[in-house]
Amino acid sequence: MGISKSEAASALADIESTTGRGRLLKSYQVGGPILMVWGVVWAAGYTAMGVLPPERWGLAWLVLDAIGIAATIVLSRRARGAAQGGAKAGQGWKTMASVFTILAFIAATFTVFRPTSLDPAMVFPGLVAGLVYSGVGIAYAPRYMWIGASVFAATLIGWFFFQPWLAFWMAAVGGGGLFVGGLWLRKA
Amino acid sequence: MSVAELDELIHQPLRLKIMAALHAERDAEPVEFSRLKAVTQATDGNLGSHLATLEKAGYVEITKDFVGKKPRTRAALTPVGRKAFRRHVDYLRAVVEGVDGDVT
Repeated sequence: MGISKSEAASALADIESTTGRGRLLKSYQVGGPILMVWGVVWAAGYTAMGVLPPERWGLAWLVLDAIGIAATIVLSRRARGAAQGGAKAGQGWKTMASVFTILAFIAATFTVFRPTSLDPAMVFPGLVAGLVYSGVGIAYAPRYMWIGASVFAATLIGWFFFQPWLAFWMAAVGGGGLFVGGLWLRKA
Repeated sequence: MSVAELDELIHQPLRLKIMAALHAERDAEPVEFSRLKAVTQATDGNLGSHLATLEKAGYVEITKDFVGKKPRTRAALTPVGRKAFRRHVDYLRAVVEGVDGDVT
C-alpha cells in the first residue's frame, strides 16, 4: 500500500511543525530561568535607585548587571549541556552580543538626548526592554511578545501615574513582571 | 543502507508526531510525558495509548520513576525506532519528489 503525494507532503509538514513546536517549548524552558534572574536584577537595581543617592546608582547597576550576565552564561551553558550539543554553536555569544548592543543603544541615546531629570533615565530601559521582548516575540516566540508588551505598558503606567515612586514601581512591576514572565516560560 | 518504505504504524498522525518529537531530541534525555503532550497537542489518554503501541513495536522505551514523591513518565526513541522513523521520512520525501510514483 502506498500514499499520495499530498498525503506525504502533509505528513512531512506535520513532522516539521511538531519539531518546531518542540524547539519553541525548549527555548521557553531555557529562557524562563534567565528571565527570572533578570527580574531579580531589575528589582534589586531599581530598589537600589529608590534608596541610594544617585552617585551610587552606577556602581549598583554595574555589580548587578555583572551578576546577571554571569548567571545568563551559566544557565545557557547548562541548558546547552543538557541538550548535548543540540543548541546551535555560538548561540551564547550571539545572545551576549545582543545584550551589549542593547546596552550600547541605551548609553548612546542618553548621550544624545541628555535627559534633564532622573525619571526619564529610569523608565527608558523599561521601554527598551519592552520593545526588544515584543520584537523577539513577534518574530520568533509569541510568549515574549506578551511579556514585552506587559513591561512596556507597566513602564508607561508608572511614568504617568506613579512618578513619585517610580523606582519602587519599576522594581516591583518591572522586576516582578520579568520574574513572573520567566516562571510562565519555564512552565511551557 | 535501508530501503525507504511506508511504516503503517508510524504513519498514524499522532504516532507520527510522537516519533517526530522524540527524534528531535537526538541524544538528549528522554522526554517527559507532560512535555510530549504539549508538543504533540494530544490528550492524556490518546498519548498514553499511542505510546503503548509504539512501545509494543519496540520503537519507544518508556521509563517510570519518581522525582521526590511525584511520579514521572518519560519516553525515548529506541535505536530501532530511530531507524524506522528515518526510513519512513525517506519514504515520504521520495513520494513527494515523485521518485516512488504516486499510488492513489
